[in-house]
Amino acid sequence: METPKESAKESAAQPRERLGALLLQFLKFGCFTFGGGWSIVSQMQRVYVEERKTISNEDLLDLTSVGRSLPGTMIANIAFLFGYRQAGVPGGLVCVTGMVLPPLALLSVITLFYTAFRDSYWVAAAMNGIRAAVVPIILCAALPLTKSALVRRSAFVLAALALGAYLLGVGCVWLVIAGAVCGLLLCAARRERGRKA
Amino acid sequence: MIRLLFTLLWSFTKIGFTSFGGLSMIPLISSEMVAHGFMTAAEVSDIVAIAEMTPGPLGLNCATFAGMRTAGLPGALAANLGILLPTLTLTAAAAIFYERFKDSRVMQDVMAGVRPVCVGMIFGVALELCASNYLAEGRVLLPYVILGAADLFLLLKVKLSIPKLIGLNALAGMLLFGVLGM
Repeated sequence: METPKESAKESAAQPRERLGALLLQFLKFGCFTFGGGWSIVSQMQRVYVEERKTISNEDLLDLTSVGRSLPGTMIANIAFLFGYRQAGVPGGLVCVTGMVLPPLALLSVITLFYTAFRDSYWVAAAMNGIRAAVVPIILCAALPLTKSALVRRSAFVLAALALGAYLLGVGCVWLVIAGAVCGLLLCAARRERGRKA
Repeated sequence: MIRLLFTLLWSFTKIGFTSFGGLSMIPLISSEMVAHGFMTAAEVSDIVAIAEMTPGPLGLNCATFAGMRTAGLPGALAANLGILLPTLTLTAAAAIFYERFKDSRVMQDVMAGVRPVCVGMIFGVALELCASNYLAEGRVLLPYVILGAADLFLLLKVKLSIPKLIGLNALAGMLLFGVLGM
């Protein structure tokens, strides 16, 4: 569990995280995943992109896209994808465990007296306060991701179309598949143009 | 007992594999829970409210709630394992595949299209949450908007960490909505 064996290829670009550090960090993430789990992306952006420079904004966006489009729980998927990149299958398992334990423990306790919790005046007041923070938290992750994803005009158009389609109720899986097809076509077209010029 | 645990596991495995996150899983969870007698319809709507209040996504929180109520902690673990099975199988396979091919040209092209779509989706989620968190019956909830604007400032300019921000908002909520009754 100490220094993971690094093959020459893997050790070159990205700093890798230890299992123990991953577990602690994801336990912490797990305590603050309000807002349907999207704040995990903001937290990872802060810790792993900005502070530790473990991954880039593009990497985080890729993990988010893949995690969001697979079935199951998005944050667990993102946690596994990130953990796997850092430390293989054990890394993935550690990150998912860390992510899941805090809500599991908290909800287990709440279940025992959930009517009291549901009807508590002070809990409701505190939770209303937290609710106001969810959108700012998501936006604070979205802005740097936007900068790294929208590098061309065609990307802007794609993002705007995806936003519109999402609000009209098109499922995320279809959006991601459509994005993949557009990516293939646009890149092929760009290469074709490059060859002719 | 063992049979009950397997029923929980199987039920949440089905929910896990057929849901793609967010509120889209509510009807499915509701029908599974009521069909097995794990929860009543009223309890399902309570747990949706509680899941929104607490950290962790809806699916996991429902699993814990249903598991705890029907079979205690082992039930909660079985139900959580069920809802995590897609992650532990499909996503694990995707992770291996993705890490192997992420530097290939085809994958680079694919991701060049998927990244903007993902950004569009995140803004879509943010807009939806704006509507549910800052508006009620067509009216703008001013205290929430002001608090949200302050949060945005703290995040972007002061670079306050997210756990600290959430703690601060809990206190602000108690003050604004609890003490002042806004």
